[in-house]
Amino acid sequence: MPKTRTALTPGLIIIVGFLTVCPVFMLILGSFSEGLSSFGSFTLSKYVKGYIDPAFADILANTLIFTVGSAIVASVLALFLAYLNTRTNIPFKFLFRIISLIPMMVPHILFAVSWVLLLNPSNGMINLFLRQLFGLEGAALSIYSLKGMILVEGLLDLPIAYLVIAPAMSAFDVSLEESSKVCGASNLRTLFRVTLPVLRPAILAAITLVIVRSLASFAVPSVIGMPGRIYVLATHIYRIVATGYATDYGLAAAVGMSALAASITLILLYRHLTRQGEKYVTVSSRGYRPTVIDLKGAKYPLFGIVALLSFILIVLPVLVLFYTSVVPYSMVPSEKAFAMMSWKHWIAVFKDPISLLSLKNSLYLGVGGATLGIILSFFVAYVIVKVRTAASGFLESLSFLSFSFPGIVVGIGFMWFFVQTPLYGTIWALLIGYIATYLPYGIRPLTSAFVQIHSNLEESSRVCGGGSLYTMRRIVIPLLIPGIVSGWILMATMFVRELSLSVVLSRPGTEVLAVQILRFAEDGLWGRLSALGIIMIFISTTLVIIASQIGVKLTKVDK
Amino acid sequence: MEISIRRLSKSYYSEGKTIVALASVDLNIPSDRIFTLLGPSGCGKTTLLRCIVGLEMPDAGEIAIGDKVVFSAEKGIYVPPEKRELGMVFQTYAIWPHMNVFDNVAYPLQTRNEPKEEIRRKVERTLHFVQLDGFENRPATKLSGGQQQRVALARALVAEPKVILFDEPLSNLDAKLREETRKELRSFLRELKITAVYVTHDRIEALSLSDTVAVMKSGRIVEVGTPWEIYFDSDRRFVADFIGRANFVEGKVAKGGEPHTMIDSVIGAIACEKKIGASLGKAVTVCIRPEFIRVLKGDQADGCNIFRGRVESLVFVGDAFEGEIRVNEIPLIFRIEPTTTVREGEEIALHLDPHHCSILLS
Repeated sequence: MPKTRTALTPGLIIIVGFLTVCPVFMLILGSFSEGLSSFGSFTLSKYVKGYIDPAFADILANTLIFTVGSAIVASVLALFLAYLNTRTNIPFKFLFRIISLIPMMVPHILFAVSWVLLLNPSNGMINLFLRQLFGLEGAALSIYSLKGMILVEGLLDLPIAYLVIAPAMSAFDVSLEESSKVCGASNLRTLFRVTLPVLRPAILAAITLVIVRSLASFAVPSVIGMPGRIYVLATHIYRIVATGYATDYGLAAAVGMSALAASITLILLYRHLTRQGEKYVTVSSRGYRPTVIDLKGAKYPLFGIVALLSFILIVLPVLVLFYTSVVPYSMVPSEKAFAMMSWKHWIAVFKDPISLLSLKNSLYLGVGGATLGIILSFFVAYVIVKVRTAASGFLESLSFLSFSFPGIVVGIGFMWFFVQTPLYGTIWALLIGYIATYLPYGIRPLTSAFVQIHSNLEESSRVCGGGSLYTMRRIVIPLLIPGIVSGWILMATMFVRELSLSVVLSRPGTEVLAVQILRFAEDGLWGRLSALGIIMIFISTTLVIIASQIGVKLTKVDK
Repeated sequence: MEISIRRLSKSYYSEGKTIVALASVDLNIPSDRIFTLLGPSGCGKTTLLRCIVGLEMPDAGEIAIGDKVVFSAEKGIYVPPEKRELGMVFQTYAIWPHMNVFDNVAYPLQTRNEPKEEIRRKVERTLHFVQLDGFENRPATKLSGGQQQRVALARALVAEPKVILFDEPLSNLDAKLREETRKELRSFLRELKITAVYVTHDRIEALSLSDTVAVMKSGRIVEVGTPWEIYFDSDRRFVADFIGRANFVEGKVAKGGEPHTMIDSVIGAIACEKKIGASLGKAVTVCIRPEFIRVLKGDQADGCNIFRGRVESLVFVGDAFEGEIRVNEIPLIFRIEPTTTVREGEEIALHLDPHHCSILLS
C-alpha cells in the first residue's frame, strides 16, 4: 500500500499539473508570439496592439459593469431566497432546492436564447404582443443592452450565489439575533445590524464567485451582447479569433492574460473570504433548529415572488423554446399560431448532418469525458483526503486553480498547445480541454464523499476480518457511490452543454451542441435552434436520470 | 485469553516534533477479566489499544495474544488486524451506514464465509443477547445512539472472539444514557467469558466496570490495580488526583509504626494509615478524600486527628453540600450530607479517619 501511494501522488501532480498549468503556460508563451505558425518568436507587439486599442477601454468598462451588476443581482436574489428558506415559514420549501439545482437542467445558452426570443427588439414575443396591444411603432423593450445582459446573467448565476449563501445562513447562530431582540431591536433592525454583518464574508464570497463566473460567461455576452454590439472581454477575445478576416491568436492570448489574471486574483480572494467565513460560523452541535420567523400576511405574496422566479428560471425557457420550435416564425401565441404549428424545424434538424454530428460528439464527450474525469477525480480526491502530505496539499491547490479559468481563455491556451500536436482538430482536444476546465466539479463531490468515510469505518471492517480488498469492495466503494454519481452527473451535464471552451477548440468535424446552437443563433434560425435546444435539455435530463438510477441500484445490490 | 505486552514503543512525527505515544510499555492483561486503560487524553491509551488490535504499527517491542505472537519488532512479525480474530467497539461505533442492522452484525461471519443458515442463527442469537431482537431489517442509521452502541457490541461479539476491545465506547452518549449503557455493558460482560480491554478517560466508568485498572500517563503505565486499590491505596499523587477529588497535604513522616504513621504537616500532626516505605523524615503527601472529612459542630470534639477551621464556602449540589474549610490557611474541600446545619462562615472542628488518610510516596 505505501509503495503505490508514493507513486500515486507525483503521478497525479503531473497529470493535474499538465491539465491546469499547460494552458496557462501556453497562453503566456502565445501572448508573446507572432502567430500560431511562428510559435516561440518573441514579440511584445500583441500586448501593445491589444491594450492600446481605443475600443479596449469601453470593453473593460462594459465587462466591469456586466460582472459587478450580475453579481449584485444574483447575490441580492440569493440572499432573499436563502433568508426566506432558512429563516421563515414560507410554504413549499422544496422549490428552493429546485432553484439551486436548475443549472443542471437548462444550459445557459438556451436560457439566454429564450430571453432573446421574448425580448428582442425586432420580433421578440413580448415586444410583438405590446405592439399589438398598444399599436406601438418599433420596440418597447430591448434585451440587447447591458441591462438585459445583467438581468439574464444575474438570474443564471443565482443558483451559485444561493449555494454559497444558504449554508452560511443555516449555520448561523440564532442566539446572536435573539440577544439583539432582547436588547430591544426590531426584526428589521436586527436583520441590518446583526444578521447581515455576520453573514458578510459569505455574501462577499458569493459576489466574488459570481463575478468570476460572469467574467468567464460566454453564452449571455455572445447571444445577447454581440447583436447589440456590446462587447465584454470574453466576446472581444472571441471576435479576435473567430470573426474577421485574419484571426490573431497572439492578440487573443495577450488580451486573455488580463481576464485570467483578474480571475485568479478573484478566486484567491474568494478562498480567503470563505476561510474567514468559517471563523464566523457558530454552529452548535446540539442540532438546534433556528426559530422561524412567522411571515403572517406577507407569506403568500412573498411565496408568489419565489414561484414567479422559479417559473422564469425553469418553466419559461423550456416553454418558449418548445413553442418557437413548432411555429414557422416568431409570433405571439394565438389561434393563428396554433393553426400553423408543425414539426418542420424538428425535421430540418434531424436532416442537418452538422446538427446530428454535434449531437453525437456532445453525447460522446458527455459520457466518455465525465467517466474519464470522474476516474481522475477519484484518485485526486483520495490523495487529497486520505494521504494528506505536503504534496497532496499542493495537488489540492493545483486542482482548485482551474476553477478560476475562463473557458475561452483556457481554450486559447490549449489552442496554442494543440496546434503543435496531432490532437488539433480532433475530439480528443475537446475532451482534454473539458476535463482540465471542469476537474474541480468532479473533485468537489468526491472529496466530500471521502471525508464522510471516517477511518473507523474501514478499520472496523479490518478488525471484523475483512482484508483491504474486501473492505474496499464492501465498505469504501458503496459509501463513495453517491459522490461518484453526483460528480459524474455534474461533469456529464456540463460537458453536454459546454460552450465557451468549445467555440475556440471546435473545428469542422468536431462540432458540439452548444456551438451549433450559437451558429443557429448567429444565423437567426430560431426554430431549428429551439428544436436542437429541446433535444439538448432532453439529453441532459436523461443522463441525470440514468446516472441516478444506476447509483440507486449500485448502493442497494450489496450482498 | 491473556495478552502480554513487552517493551512496546511508538512515536509519531508531527510538524517536525516527535511525540512519544508509548514509552516501552510492559503489561499483562489477565484472561477473562475486564481490564481498563485509564488516563487523560494524549496519554497513549488509545494508541496501546490500536497496537493490540493491529491498526497501529509499534516501533519496537512484542505483543502476544494467548500463545500467538501477533507483533514482534525483533522477529519481524506483524499479523494484520483481519487475522487477529478480535472484536472491537469504536468510539464512533463505526456502524456502516449503507447496511441494515443484520448486515452490520453478520459482516464478521461473512468475511469468514460461514454458511448462510449459520450466520442467520448466530446473528439472531447475538442480537437477542444485546436486546435488539427484531431490529434486523432496520437501517443502521435509523437507530438511537444507545442502540447503535449495542449494534457495535453485537458485531464485535458475533464471531465469538476471545478478546474484545473498547475504545471509549460511551463518550458519545449523553450523561443519562451513558450511565444506563454502562450498567448494561457491565452485565453483558459479566455474563461472557471474555477478555475485555477497555479504554476510557472517565474515572467512574473505569471504577465501575473493571476488574483491573491500569492508569497511564505520557505513554507509560503508572499503576495497575483493582478499582479499590487504585482509589484508596495508590502510591502516586497523579493517580490519586486523577481517580477522584482529593485534598493533598504536604508533610514529613514524624513517627512510623503501629497503629498509625504520624505525619507532621502544615495543618498539624495527622495520623495516617501505615504505609510500607514511609521511613522517618521522608517528605510525603497525605491524600484525604472530601467524603471522609467529618464535620463536628461546636467545641465538644477532642482527641486524635481533630482540626479546627472556618467554613469558607458551602454549595448545595443536590445530594450533598460541597464546601471548603480553611485549616491553618490551607483550604480543604469537603462533602457533607444535605441535612447538615453547618453554615458558611462558621468555625467548626473536623475529624479525619486515619484509615482514610493515605500516604502518597510520590
